Order: sequence, then structure tokens, then C-alpha cells
Amino acid sequence: MAFVVGINVAVGLRLVGIAPKIPLQRIINFYPLHWYCSIAILVSGLALLAAYPAKALTNPVFYLKLTALIIGLGLSRYFQLKLQVEQSTIDEKKLKLLGALSLLLWVITITAGRFLAYTHNTLLASRFY
Amino acid sequence: MLELLSNFSQITGIYWFMNSPWGWPVAESIHFFGLCLLLGTVGVFDLRMLGMANGLSYEALHKLVPWGVVGYLLNVTTGTMFLTTSPDQYLFNPAFQTKLFFMLIAGLNMLLFYFTTAAAVKSTPAIITLPNRARTIAAISLLCWCGVIVCGRLITYFRPPYHWCFWC
Repeated sequence: MAFVVGINVAVGLRLVGIAPKIPLQRIINFYPLHWYCSIAILVSGLALLAAYPAKALTNPVFYLKLTALIIGLGLSRYFQLKLQVEQSTIDEKKLKLLGALSLLLWVITITAGRFLAYTHNTLLASRFY
Repeated sequence: MLELLSNFSQITGIYWFMNSPWGWPVAESIHFFGLCLLLGTVGVFDLRMLGMANGLSYEALHKLVPWGVVGYLLNVTTGTMFLTTSPDQYLFNPAFQTKLFFMLIAGLNMLLFYFTTAAAVKSTPAIITLPNRARTIAAISLLCWCGVIVCGRLITYFRPPYHWCFWC
């Protein structure tokens, strides 16, 4: 998770205007590692969900995390495709906004993820039968 | 030591904050975001030194590292909040001790980097592969930060006195 968020933080910081000398077409070369790590979080996330399905599925915070995560990963894919083209054809203002949105989404993902452990009110599915 | 840390927590109001309904998870969220900042800047720079993202300027990428320092400061602050609120759960915890060991190695490794290698790395053209010395420093840094993350997660699962460790 730290690698996925970390690489997105690096790209996000660059897009909002920090370290402008970093060429956008080069920084996306970290994305293959990002996607390998995304597979790892998908597998470990599914394992955690399978271990305590009721705990997560009955908690609205879980859906907040999932939504932020999916949109965040969607934005990563968008950046990866968009930044491959020549820098002069890129709408910098739009990318700046999307970069800020991406950073916000990862903060939400992390915060919601941590709050999951403190906000559940159901632990086992056996509560329902 | 326990008393000293506890008193610090009580006097500064950390204990009160951490025992408020959302104090602990808020501090944890900031702690994890600090780690992501660290890995997203220092870790990404380490990966670059190891040869990933070939063609990306070392000097330009290094401009992100100050944000890693911000992440590190966030971690030290929130880490101090955890430690002083429940010092007995950390001081005798082998996962915490191992985490501190990795942090120490990472710190010494960083000093070695800035005193011996950083200037040469930053002036190296983007298409040139770095010498083994710089690559070794990057690998140690990356391994240490991964170790810090893993040990940080394990702290929850090794609560004293239920788990024995030879130095406790």
C-alpha cells in the first residue's frame, strides 16, 4: 500500500507544481511497479475481507475507502496514459487539479482504512443468524 | 524511563488527546500518510538510483526529498505520541525495537549518502547508471524503510509480556 500511495504522492506532488523540472513523461515510468503493488493490495485486501466479511461489509467507512481507492487507481491509469504524450499538448491546469484530487483521494483512502478498525459495529456474520 | 515518558504525555496533553474517541486513529492516519510521503519521495529516489525510470534526472527527482523530511517529521511526532501514551507497550516490544534498529540503520545510511555520494549522484546525467556504491546505499535505504513499515504493523501483534524476546 505504501508503494502504491507513495508513487501516487510523487506524481501528485509533481502535478500540483512541486519540483517542476521533473519531466512528466519520465515519472510515469514508476507506474509498472505501482500496478504490481496494486495487485498485492488487491490480494491482501480480499484475504482480509474474506477473513471478516461482515466486519467490513456492514461498515460505511469500508465503502468510502473502496470508492476513494477505485477513483484513485482510475486517476493513476489516466495519468499514466495522458502523460505519455508530448508535454506541450497537455492541459497543465486540468492536470494540476486532478493531481490535487488524486492526493486528496489517497489521504481519504488511508484515513478511512485506519478508521475501519475503530468504526465497525459487527465482527462476525453469525450475528445475523 | 516509563515514568518519564508517561509524565511527558500527561504534561503535554498528548495522553488526553490520544485517549479521546478519535485521537488514536487520527494519529495513526497521519503516521501512515507520513510513511507514504517518505516512501513516495525518498523511496522513489532510491528506486531511481537502483535504475528504475531510466532517463529521469537524479537532481530533479531529488527536489521531492524535502517532502520526505516532512513525512519523517510527521512520523516522529505521531510516533512519539504513541510511545509516550503507552510506553510499556512499545519499549518492551521486539517489533518496536527492531523498527528502531531499522530507523537507526536508515539514518546512518542517509548520513553516509549525503557525506560521500549525494553530490556525485545529483550531477550524474540521467542516462548514466550509478556506481555500485550509490546503488548499495539506495538498496539499504529501501530495505530499511520496508523493514520499518513491516515492524510497525507487527507492533500490534507482539504485545509484551505475551511474547518472549531475548533482550527483554
